[in-house]
Amino acid sequence: MTSSPELIRALEAARPTAPIALRARVREIATEEATPAAWPRLQLRLPVRRVAMVAMPAAVALAIVTAGVTGLARSDGTTEAFREQNLSGHLATTDAPEVGAPAKTQSQDAQLGPLLPADQGSAIAPTTDRAQRVNATLTVEVSDSDAVSRAAQQALDLTRRLGGHVVSASVATGEEGSAALTVRVPVARVQEAIVQLSSLGRIVSQQVQIEDLQESLDALERRERSVRAQIATLVARLDTESLDAATQARLEARLQNLRSELRGLRRGISGTNAEARMATIQLTVVTPGMLGAVPVPSRLDRTLDEALDVLVWESVIALAIAIVAAPFALVAFAAWLGRKLYRRREEDRLLAT
Amino acid sequence: MSLDAPRRADAAAQSFAAVAEELLDDVYGYLLYLTKNWALAEDLTSETFETALRKWRRFDPRRGTHRAWLLAIARSTALDWFRADSRRRRREERAEAGELREEREPAFGEGFSPELEEGLHALSAGEREVVALRVVLDLDGEEVARLLGITPTAVSTRLHRALAKLEERMRHHDVVA
Repeated sequence: MTSSPELIRALEAARPTAPIALRARVREIATEEATPAAWPRLQLRLPVRRVAMVAMPAAVALAIVTAGVTGLARSDGTTEAFREQNLSGHLATTDAPEVGAPAKTQSQDAQLGPLLPADQGSAIAPTTDRAQRVNATLTVEVSDSDAVSRAAQQALDLTRRLGGHVVSASVATGEEGSAALTVRVPVARVQEAIVQLSSLGRIVSQQVQIEDLQESLDALERRERSVRAQIATLVARLDTESLDAATQARLEARLQNLRSELRGLRRGISGTNAEARMATIQLTVVTPGMLGAVPVPSRLDRTLDEALDVLVWESVIALAIAIVAAPFALVAFAAWLGRKLYRRREEDRLLAT
Repeated sequence: MSLDAPRRADAAAQSFAAVAEELLDDVYGYLLYLTKNWALAEDLTSETFETALRKWRRFDPRRGTHRAWLLAIARSTALDWFRADSRRRRREERAEAGELREEREPAFGEGFSPELEEGLHALSAGEREVVALRVVLDLDGEEVARLLGITPTAVSTRLHRALAKLEERMRHHDVVA
């Protein structure tokens, strides 16, 4: 009869000891440890987990440093870009040879400073020998609400002095005053008007647009001459020839149409000429509070913005890679798991015998 | 008895020779219980130490003791042999259908009483393994659980069942004798 303590004692007593031959064999194996190889192999075995623990933070740090350096490098360029963006200076020319199509246009915009030197007037000056539509938009900044009123009044006086008239005027006073004036002045004096209006305060923005009307005016005048000639011919026929009633009625109807068209052409020519005689100027006078100008961001802000942009792009790229790699990783994980489970079951089977 | 292998330059670490000397009996005993064949256990022990020598630089003391590390290698070596043996048997069964050779039943060797040896033969490899680790080598439950990849509760259950079975077999042997 054997009880458990006795059994355990029996098992402990029968604790196997390695035979001498085996001990000698293992000793021989152990001596290989001390024998250096003639050409020692460089063993560079990096555990995956340790590598991942170092590589992941390193990759994140690298991404952040890259973003920071890129942001710092771009922040200089951003200054220029910001200025260019806010100056928004551009010059455009469009030809429109046909009547009714957009006419030839020149425009010049400027912000943060006058592009029209006071001594030279507009950089794009209207020509006196061609009919042109001239539109100018000015925004000037003055110190306070009282200055707004004064500037508006000076603008109205100037308009009258130059032989122009006021189309609309709106002046708001108060803590943050503003004025919006639309005036028309003779084209011949528009440069003078712009220069003087620009001197009412600090120029915030300025735009001068010149549209050529000469070609359409010429076309109208050619058509007018043609219509006049046709009318003269028709009148002569009706006065001199003996016509039957039907022909006479047809010619009279045509004469009436031509006269009607002539009236329209005269109105068009007159309107175009009027348009070409007077330039339209829209003047806005504001105080600094009304302007709501966005301050130029500091270099630190720009650096952070640029760095953030780079980080966002890096994240997008990382996400894209993760999305592409995810199915493969999932399959690899499933394969690894399946193999592990298979081996576990196989081990159980092997150890069950 | 000591192995005269020179120590590594790293004085803080035990040399492989010293570890092999200290743990040779444990590894051999474990493999003997697992295989119930002293000749095979010797071969697998040698193989285990060869593998251990190759992996010696990768041993991380933070992840366990030398004994647990060597026993894990021994287990892996034995399981590889069992797999290969299983495949070999299947091939032979297919080739010599009905003419299976009756291999001589392996033996534990000296030091085991006939009734103990018979009782151990009746256990499965898994049961002998847990007896070897918990009783013979005196590893604690947590260590054995980590080594076998099962829970400590499962280790206790397996050990209890193995001992009961062994006791029963030995009692039966006593009665028959």
